[in-house]
Amino acid sequence: MALIEVSNLSFTYPERERAALVDVSLAINSGDFVVLCGKSGCGKSTLLRHFKTVLTPFGRLTGAVYFDGRLLGDVSQREQTSRIGFVLQSPENQIVTDKVWHELAFGLESLGEKAPVIRRHVAEMASFFGIQSWYEKTIYELSGGQKQLLALAAVLTMQPDVLILDEPTAQLDPIAAEDFIVTLKKINDEIGTTIIMSEHRLEGALPRADTVLVMEAGRIISHGSPSVVARDLQKQKDQMLSAMPAPMRVYLALEKSGDRETNGHVPQTVREGRVFLEKRYGVMVRETSRTQQLEEREIVEKTGSRFWTRFLTGELAKDRNSSTPLLAMKDVWFRYDREGIDIIKDLALQVFPGEFVCVVGGNGTGKSTMLGVVSGENKHYRGQVSCLGLDPRKAIGNELSDAGLAALPQDPQTLFTRATVFDNLIDVAKAYAKRRGEKRTPEQIEAEVLATCEMTETLDLIGFHPYDVSGGEQQRTGMAMALLTRPQLLLLDEPTKGMDGFFKAKFAAIIKRLCTAGMGVLMVSHDVEFCAKFADRCALFFNGNIVSEGLPRTFFSGNSFYTTAANRMARFLFAEAITAEEVVELLEGME
Amino acid sequence: MIRIGREGGRKSVFAGYHPLLNFMFFGYAVSVPIFFLHPLLLIISLASALAYSIYLGGRKAALFGLGFVLPVMLLAAAFNPLFFHRGETIIYYFYYNPITLESIIYGLCNATMIGSVILWFTCYNAIMTSDKFIYLFGRLVPAMSLIIAMALRLIPRYQAQVQRIVAARRGIGFDVSTGGYLTRVRNGGEVLSVMVTWALENGIETGDSMLARGYGLPGRTAYSNYRFDSRDRLLLASFLGLMTTDLFCLVTGTLSVQYYSRFMWENIQPFASIALVCHAAVSFLPLALELREDALWRSLRSRI
Repeated sequence: MALIEVSNLSFTYPERERAALVDVSLAINSGDFVVLCGKSGCGKSTLLRHFKTVLTPFGRLTGAVYFDGRLLGDVSQREQTSRIGFVLQSPENQIVTDKVWHELAFGLESLGEKAPVIRRHVAEMASFFGIQSWYEKTIYELSGGQKQLLALAAVLTMQPDVLILDEPTAQLDPIAAEDFIVTLKKINDEIGTTIIMSEHRLEGALPRADTVLVMEAGRIISHGSPSVVARDLQKQKDQMLSAMPAPMRVYLALEKSGDRETNGHVPQTVREGRVFLEKRYGVMVRETSRTQQLEEREIVEKTGSRFWTRFLTGELAKDRNSSTPLLAMKDVWFRYDREGIDIIKDLALQVFPGEFVCVVGGNGTGKSTMLGVVSGENKHYRGQVSCLGLDPRKAIGNELSDAGLAALPQDPQTLFTRATVFDNLIDVAKAYAKRRGEKRTPEQIEAEVLATCEMTETLDLIGFHPYDVSGGEQQRTGMAMALLTRPQLLLLDEPTKGMDGFFKAKFAAIIKRLCTAGMGVLMVSHDVEFCAKFADRCALFFNGNIVSEGLPRTFFSGNSFYTTAANRMARFLFAEAITAEEVVELLEGME
Repeated sequence: MIRIGREGGRKSVFAGYHPLLNFMFFGYAVSVPIFFLHPLLLIISLASALAYSIYLGGRKAALFGLGFVLPVMLLAAAFNPLFFHRGETIIYYFYYNPITLESIIYGLCNATMIGSVILWFTCYNAIMTSDKFIYLFGRLVPAMSLIIAMALRLIPRYQAQVQRIVAARRGIGFDVSTGGYLTRVRNGGEVLSVMVTWALENGIETGDSMLARGYGLPGRTAYSNYRFDSRDRLLLASFLGLMTTDLFCLVTGTLSVQYYSRFMWENIQPFASIALVCHAAVSFLPLALELREDALWRSLRSRI
């Protein structure tokens, strides 16, 4: 019998015309590992919240949800609390108390358990998760990944039968996200807990799933094992296909009827993908001339940008020798305290007009600290930094912003002062008009704001409260605010965190547009796939320093581990192919 | 007050006992000398407090004793005879004001009392961490202990968020520290407004997380890591025995003292000497426990 069964569930939020869930029916068996995917706003969270009564939103509802054979509404709150665990997205927000041990005990306290019982369960969980070493710590000392693991452990102490997770890795860096998913799989394997998670980073989650559910506009459009769902999406030519892991996309594009290599199984991991490629193409000789074509095509594709026209005509190379870069850092050293360790060591980096530079690298290597040095937040103690002709150390107050520097913070919520997106933007435009001493009519200011909205694709959002739009949309709103300061150099800190594939593509298009207009963009990110696809130049940051740097193609094909999934899978054939599309194109060309 | 204890100071054995015993000890050690202002009790109290604070805090505590406690005591001792002129044994006229022996004695006793209370509080700070306090009083009002724990979680979070907002606003050219007075007030207000919206919005998810883990179900318990073991029971029994004997002897009045108008104390009765011995035993007990443990470790180390 199914553990959770949903029959014909439809749901509409109050005062909304469009239904958030439309006639959803599904059954989840005990012990399943279920991954729920779909674009932002497709109803994933709404569906998950119907699996626990206290979290179910208000609205018009038809249909029913059954838990363990009973109507969910008839299952007591006490039973739901312990048997249905729920983990939310933000590691910061869902932790309630100040100590790790207290957080672990919170749920059992609610259930009224006695101290010896709590002590035993808490001890079990701490051992299972390996968190004994930080058991006595305060929450403040933990990293984001540790906090999310704690949130998970704090639910598991109640020994739930089913664990529901709403985009649990959205706020984590790739390594912490992978750790988290590995832990989930371990729970699923070793305790047998049923797991239902929504997720947009599918590379890690999909290979571990028994069942995948794909949602679109409140409906379930595909349902089954990863292989089945992938084929289904390809048949429907659905956009969600592009969010699937690279090995799946490559395989499906090359699949022929009667393939023997994988017995109908769609490769999901780099290993499986590589085995498939070796079986089918291994005998063929490496062809390097193919990659030449790739580069040409790429350049043609990118010639829309002024940067690339100038690159092609060799103008840019001249520029680099003659014209001044927007940002030039040389021999820069930084540390927080006199006695502290150096965070930035002998750093050199330049950003030219019209260039989109991505700095990738692991957590805690000093990437964000570097942005702080550029914006004057962190004052370097050795070396030279010239940001738009100013030394950030000596710039006081708003000097750097007035010179044309804008920094978009990791969390754009820190920028929103007004109740609508539009008012937020108007505020910035007004303040800057006043500061520049321009006499402008309200109509002119409004026109500038609307033009900026068009540029950043936020026109549909202007009436909303900035907290009511999705994470990706908040990033774009923050971007619009930054653009109204008319910057020449834009700093971005992890902007694609928590964004799904479609929002990322949109975001990249905006950045390209800005670069065409001659703006320089410096971004720090964990998102290798994004940088490979869209950057003009990539740099790998490690231990306070840039260790390698180059055009995305040469950069990523030069790395053997820190590169895209498609490159890792196919590098034995084409070292220079870095996206799934390129791999497919090259292989098709070979046949 | 100086912070002694875990950070910098040495590891305390007494701190490892149940919080109830820690609190019981300090409650007793501080209040008895205040209520029974007897010179001998006070001297015992000062001596034990000084010894224990130096044990816990080392050189730092000794300097604190010399640099702060001693001057305060001297001031307190001088204050009484200079401003109160009761007592019949006049020993000196200071600007036509009589300085009496009784007043001097009373001042000295007061100073000793103040000194010992301050020193006990430095020890208290080292032993009774906020955790223990919350634990003890959270048991009286369970809802309260959760609220305190939540507040302790939120305060550093809010501080960090305010800094983040200020930096983010500066990043797009709204620095709170530049511009005219009005601009700065307005920019500061904006930071506050962002902060309030942020706190309310993010609080919703915290609320969901609490609800999802059964907050609001009847019969909530308050868990703590502290357990009352046999070592605690033994110390509790000793405390109770010594303290009740001491209080009984004190209350039955054999250890009375009169400061005005002539300083008089009765000859120490057998009962009273029991009280003094018990008081000294309680006051020095934590220190004795520490020293015994130190000796134990020394012997363990020499055997290795």
